[in-house]
Amino acid sequence: MVAEPPQRLSILFALTGRLCQPAFLLSLPALIVLIGVGLIPLVLVAFWSFWSFDQATYWIKPVLTLDSYRALFNTGRFPVFIRTIGLATLTAGFCTILAFPASTIIGLMSRPRLAATLIVLFTIPFFTSALIRSFAWRLVLGRYGIVNSALVGLGLVDQPIEWLLFSDFAVAIGMIAAYLPFAVVPMVLILARIEPSVIRASQDLGAGFWTTLRCIILPLAMPGVIAGFLFVFVVALGTSTEIQLLGGAGDSSIAIMINDVMRVVNFPLAFAIATAVVLLMSVIVLLADRMLRLSRIFAELGS
Amino acid sequence: MNRDAAVLGGGAAGRPLFIALLTLGLVLIYAPAIYLLLASFNPGRQLGVVAPSEFRLIWYRSLLGDRKLLAALTESVLVGLATATIATPIGLSAALAFRAMTTRRGVFFLFILFAMFVPGTIQGLGLSVIFKMLAVKPSWITVAIGHLLWALPFAFTVSLVSLAVVRPNMIAAARDLGAGYWRAFRDVALPLVRVGIISSFVFSFLLSFNEYSRAYFLVGRQNTLPLTMFGAMNSGASPTIYALSGAILVISFGLAGILLVVRRRAPVR
Repeated sequence: MVAEPPQRLSILFALTGRLCQPAFLLSLPALIVLIGVGLIPLVLVAFWSFWSFDQATYWIKPVLTLDSYRALFNTGRFPVFIRTIGLATLTAGFCTILAFPASTIIGLMSRPRLAATLIVLFTIPFFTSALIRSFAWRLVLGRYGIVNSALVGLGLVDQPIEWLLFSDFAVAIGMIAAYLPFAVVPMVLILARIEPSVIRASQDLGAGFWTTLRCIILPLAMPGVIAGFLFVFVVALGTSTEIQLLGGAGDSSIAIMINDVMRVVNFPLAFAIATAVVLLMSVIVLLADRMLRLSRIFAELGS
Repeated sequence: MNRDAAVLGGGAAGRPLFIALLTLGLVLIYAPAIYLLLASFNPGRQLGVVAPSEFRLIWYRSLLGDRKLLAALTESVLVGLATATIATPIGLSAALAFRAMTTRRGVFFLFILFAMFVPGTIQGLGLSVIFKMLAVKPSWITVAIGHLLWALPFAFTVSLVSLAVVRPNMIAAARDLGAGYWRAFRDVALPLVRVGIISSFVFSFLLSFNEYSRAYFLVGRQNTLPLTMFGAMNSGASPTIYALSGAILVISFGLAGILLVVRRRAPVR
């Protein structure tokens, strides 16, 4: 019998000591949910995406193949990827353009009371139904909707404009309206960290509004602006609601494609699409965190 | 925001332009919802807003007789309450853990953030396959498990922000006076974050109640309300759906608005 080397024992003690710390114990329920309900299904989906489709059982069989990934580049599927990424980029771009002035007003140009009210107004949408807010655009943009009625009433057009609804235009508007808050929140957080004296100094030196904005505020707020863009991009990448309710016939997105593939029970293909998206998303979030130190900024939130 | 006044003036053109863009953003967010709400009081079958004197509640009344919708509503309330009941304590516990952490805060935060960003369709798909493997029958429980992951990042953030009121030296004082960790939490921290806990519960409920793409993969025989509504919206929507949408909007906007305002009013420092 060989005695247990003492240093190994002390490592064991250190580990148990660490595991019994309140920080670890308190985080345990959340970790169980995040890993058990969140991570494990995604890892298994990624794993099974390399299996083959079993014609006999309509399920998967453990024969490794890259067929599903080859199928991603099928003529019908690849354009959907490009289209979804394009739409997400467009949405994120417009949301950023709208969110920057809005966040500057909230963070730097209004008194605390007004700023608080505006933050509330931009936070409420997170907790309402995306489905209903999307659906509401149908009434606004439809043939007899308020926009067309107004245009016809004012004599600007003779007939209702058809391309307002069930079109790319409608989808883009619906998505910008839906995801604007995702761009505002990170920008406000970053703008709130700007030291007021820096701005005062710039003003004392005679810089006007635009000069201060360009030379002081925009560079300091850049991490928030990029984070806002990426947040919207990532959320817009996975959506289906706006396209299903406002898009034209046959319009698709990655999420809709997954639903369609699942309807014909081609599990490995659905898994491959899902894995590709999660991978892309993870890379974006990790890169953003590396570049912008987002987690450090948020880490200060609790102290 | 601990500023006593506006820091930045606006210059001649800057301020009006920025205010215009902010207003445009708010109009994009709120105008369609308000228009839908007003249109839901229109007694005619033709869509659109009528004069306030002609507002009627007939579509709201016909809601009460719609058994299919009421069954879906019951299911959604059940799922929402289950989600909120579990997500709230877990979110609070995670927020306390985050504050107590000396290392790896960023990683923990990033992990939680991820849960918020994974597309609902993909999360729902993954979970449904796991349930299939484990031979778990889809029901309100499977939907609630899916929603738990969706609500948790928000419950965590809300708890974390509300915990900012509790200064570490308050807990330290309680500990000095002989209170254990649990006692210090219950008697000192908990009363201060009561509003935060209620908010966390209500927000989790609302997130679950309005969630669609995860539920699509996880429901059992009884659809949740958003799934039923999606079906109705895409099959020649009857005006009843406008009334239901209006009612849900009022409740969601109202509850979220009240809680956010109350949280702002809560004593800080």
